[in-house]
Amino acid sequence: MTVTPYIGLGFVLFSIGLFGVLTRRNTVGILMAIELMLNASNIVLVAFSRMHGNLGGQLFAFFTITVTVAEVAVGLAIVIQVFRLKKTIHADEITLLKG
Amino acid sequence: MNFAPLTLELLLAGLILIVFVVDLVSKNPKVLAGITFVGLTILFFLNLLHPWYGTTFQGTFVSNSFTGFLKGVFLLAGILVSLGSLSTAEEQYRGRVGEYYILLLFSLLGMLFVVSARDLVLFFVAFELMSIPLYILAAYQKDSEASIEAGLKLFIFGTFSSAILVMGLALLYGTTGSTRFDVLAQTLTEGEALSVLGFLLFLTGIGFKVAMVPFHMWVPDTYAGAPAPFVAFLSVAPKAAGFAILFIFFLQVFANLALPWKLVIAFLSGITMILGNLLAIPQTHLKRLLGYSGIAHIGYMLLGVAAGTDLAIAMVLFYFVAYVLANIGAFLFAETAIQNEGTDQLSALHGYAQRNPLLGLYMLIFLLSLGGIPFVVGFWAKLYVFLAALKAGYGLLVFLAAVLTVVALYYYLNVARQIYIEKPASNDPVRVPASIHFVLLISTLGTVLLGLYPKLIVGPALEIARAFVAGL
Repeated sequence: MTVTPYIGLGFVLFSIGLFGVLTRRNTVGILMAIELMLNASNIVLVAFSRMHGNLGGQLFAFFTITVTVAEVAVGLAIVIQVFRLKKTIHADEITLLKG
Repeated sequence: MNFAPLTLELLLAGLILIVFVVDLVSKNPKVLAGITFVGLTILFFLNLLHPWYGTTFQGTFVSNSFTGFLKGVFLLAGILVSLGSLSTAEEQYRGRVGEYYILLLFSLLGMLFVVSARDLVLFFVAFELMSIPLYILAAYQKDSEASIEAGLKLFIFGTFSSAILVMGLALLYGTTGSTRFDVLAQTLTEGEALSVLGFLLFLTGIGFKVAMVPFHMWVPDTYAGAPAPFVAFLSVAPKAAGFAILFIFFLQVFANLALPWKLVIAFLSGITMILGNLLAIPQTHLKRLLGYSGIAHIGYMLLGVAAGTDLAIAMVLFYFVAYVLANIGAFLFAETAIQNEGTDQLSALHGYAQRNPLLGLYMLIFLLSLGGIPFVVGFWAKLYVFLAALKAGYGLLVFLAAVLTVVALYYYLNVARQIYIEKPASNDPVRVPASIHFVLLISTLGTVLLGLYPKLIVGPALEIARAFVAGL
């Protein structure tokens, strides 16, 4: 079985996520796009794991999933607090600090 | 299974448990800060006197003199910041002080692991253990819009860079079929498409973390909005960890990869220095100014990475120590200003030296060290890194760095002018909490002492770098 389509799928998802992060104005949307990028890496990892015939990649994917959950938990907490204080989650309106 | 090389990490994990249990019994900030401070100090000296060198977990965890030195730098930053945050914690984090210190310690634990990890999976998990607590800590003043916004920015850029990094690591695994650094080093030889892409994604991910241009845009905002004692930590410890990762990856994992990575790093170093220094000039707020000046310092240190010789590594290690002392001191000065004036605007600092001569003197020494004036430690750090880069053949870049150092003096001395020459708006004495005063004193003494006798660090750093390069 060839794994190339799966790796291609991973790249496509990663690119969609990247595009989403750069264009989305809604903070939750940005979070979802980042999530998509991380899951794209998981698909790539598992596909490579199959290709090389060892379990290193699958193991890595498990750890990535766990870490991602921790990250999202923290991120949503911050977004909720932003909403409580400012009544908006639009990145364009969160502009107290201007780069 | 040999657990001896892990002793320092296990002890720090124990310290986290102690703080956790004490937090259940007593919510007194002084007690919690005291335990963290004493615990970290003990760990610092244990690491100094009795380092546990060795390799364990089938070679995926390595503890040697190089990691020992870095762990010392992280612990030093942790010690200074744990005490430096006490007054802020007492005033603003009532009832949540325990969590504050636990998060700080978890981030430190991640740093200790990340420099020792020699396996992609362990490396990634440690890297995230270092990063995730930082997002929470940046947003810790949860009723301050600035702090929560800083936390949000740090979080978005942090996770975004992690997502890019993990894709890079996945591609490195894909080209080699192994997650072990030693196997990666042997297999990654030709610059085929996948490994080049993996390399670029890795560099982007780490670039965000150490704030090299063009991945620096989160720095000024986060530094300006987040609580100052935490920024003191954020601006030094994760950066030092990021540089350690760069050294380990470039000199070990990518050692045989036929790519002109030195040129890439040299180019990034150049634009980082230029942008950091030029954007620092128009700043009117101290924390923001220190943020841009921090970017400039990253540029100088990248010069050492680009050189990549044992001499350059030693000098970057020395640079860390100088930078930790001066930068933590400067941010805690900003915290004192915020506590007294409610703002870190430069115009609010007028006449600080008259209102509190000792505080003015401390800040002057930090500024001189950051600016690189002779006989404080920052001067030797810059000089040595520049000399090492010059020897490695980066003459033009060193010339640029030297010119920019003079530019940097302008904005550093402008801060000193506000503190010393401008007339004070009021004559009230500036109140400095005893804990911050103590940290400022240690940082000042360290800065002056190492400025007079840099050999104290340079000597061991040279040996460590030689051993590191030889042991690869």
